[in-house]
Amino acid sequence: MSAVAPHPEAGAFRAARSPFLWLLEREIVRFLKLWRFALVGQVLSALLFVLVFGIALAGRIDAVGGVPYKRFILPGLVVQAVFTVGFVNGTTSLFEARHDGYINAVLASPLRWWEINLALVVGSIVREVIVGAGVLALAGPFVGLGFSRPLVAVGALVALLVTGAQVGVLAGAYARSLDDIYSIESLAVLPLGFLSGIFYSVDRLPGVWRTLTHLDPLFYFVEAARIGVLGTGDISAGVALAVAGGIAAALTAWSLLVFRSASTLKP
Amino acid sequence: MALAVRGLTKTYRAGFTAVRDLDLVIADGAFFGLLGPNGAGKTTLIGAVCNLLRPTAGEIRVFGHDHGSREARRLVGLAEQDVTLDRFIDAEEMLVFQAGYYGLSRRDAWKRARELLDQFDLSAKAKSRRSELSGGMQRRLLLARALVHQPRLLILDEPTAGADVELRAELWSYIRRLHGAGTTVLLTTHYLEEAEALCDEIAVLRDGAIVARGSADALRERFDARDIGELYLRVLESARTTAAA
Repeated sequence: MSAVAPHPEAGAFRAARSPFLWLLEREIVRFLKLWRFALVGQVLSALLFVLVFGIALAGRIDAVGGVPYKRFILPGLVVQAVFTVGFVNGTTSLFEARHDGYINAVLASPLRWWEINLALVVGSIVREVIVGAGVLALAGPFVGLGFSRPLVAVGALVALLVTGAQVGVLAGAYARSLDDIYSIESLAVLPLGFLSGIFYSVDRLPGVWRTLTHLDPLFYFVEAARIGVLGTGDISAGVALAVAGGIAAALTAWSLLVFRSASTLKP
Repeated sequence: MALAVRGLTKTYRAGFTAVRDLDLVIADGAFFGLLGPNGAGKTTLIGAVCNLLRPTAGEIRVFGHDHGSREARRLVGLAEQDVTLDRFIDAEEMLVFQAGYYGLSRRDAWKRARELLDQFDLSAKAKSRRSELSGGMQRRLLLARALVHQPRLLILDEPTAGADVELRAELWSYIRRLHGAGTTVLLTTHYLEEAEALCDEIAVLRDGAIVARGSADALRERFDARDIGELYLRVLESARTTAAA
């Protein structure tokens, strides 16, 4: 322990490189270091569904609305994969930072509350994009991928990316223990995924199940993605995009409020 | 003034008031020691200064800036009592990113990180993660992280907790040099001899309020104590008696 550096000049804070970009970079570096779980594992999980349901069992399952089953399920599987990745990324990054206390190094720094929120959300979105693209790139050739309504697909994707990231960040901000996170994952994320119409058309369901599916927020993301890719769905593109976009906007507002008040980040 | 705290009160959600209407002024260039039993409010005070908790009432200014401003935050460095190191990245990256949060360019951040790793004898562990570092190394890395942006006010919360005699001597020597170079230091410690050896001025905190303040010599004389240990006990006893009266 030798030399002691002099102090910088006092005065207004000026950054040679935005602290937000540094935090965003840290978020991306974090999950890249965990690439086997964070990227490969997530892509593989979705791919297994495509292979088992879409290819191995495709011969025994009828086409849905004239669409081969393996093509029918792919948009929903991508939605589920991206949503799950967003949830896992936000919770692990923020919860671990709070649990281990190293979020204090961020909170004490000149980073502003909205920069911290934005870096966490954009970091999650980058991971979601990599995993979603991985699933599409690997599964696409098996099922014959195309985009019937590209604008609807883009709208669905944007709403989905933001929603997955914000759900993860909010869960990471509120969770008090790992048990909280595992509970949300097993009691909410997983059932919402399976009941969102990924594997079936809601039109084929009896009354109560149809109602339940309509109450599932993920259903609207699956429908919007399906309409964007296949051109057909159980509800109109306008309704699907409006609900999905509304959910993304509401979660973003909630997340910003949580970070602005710092109610869960600071005692 | 390096730090001016006026009327600080912090009541936690559970209803416990850790700090009550506390006033504290620390001059620029001071080496200030904060003593007190567990639960006295030392870490709460530090947390409030460093924006780690939400004060219930009061005003905190750092070199004249509101403590929540970016200008104030860039002037403060904090080495916490707990080992709050990022588990996902290595020692060098921790320092680089921390420098980045304070606005350094990529080149300057890497340069500063290497300087600090060298100064704290951590160069050989630059690519090691938290779990691969010994307790002493973690303690040195915490201090290095607090210094990465060359703060004018350095806050050290139990910096030598768990450190062996050799490391403690090294840290003392380094902190003295920092102070000699003009850094204002606010130190909390349970090692009374540490406070006496390092600090120009000492304050004793009890139940969220400052119950005595002055140089170690002046306080010893005032409380008729032979050494710092006796002084500490007499100050707390006096505060207890006053509170009960």
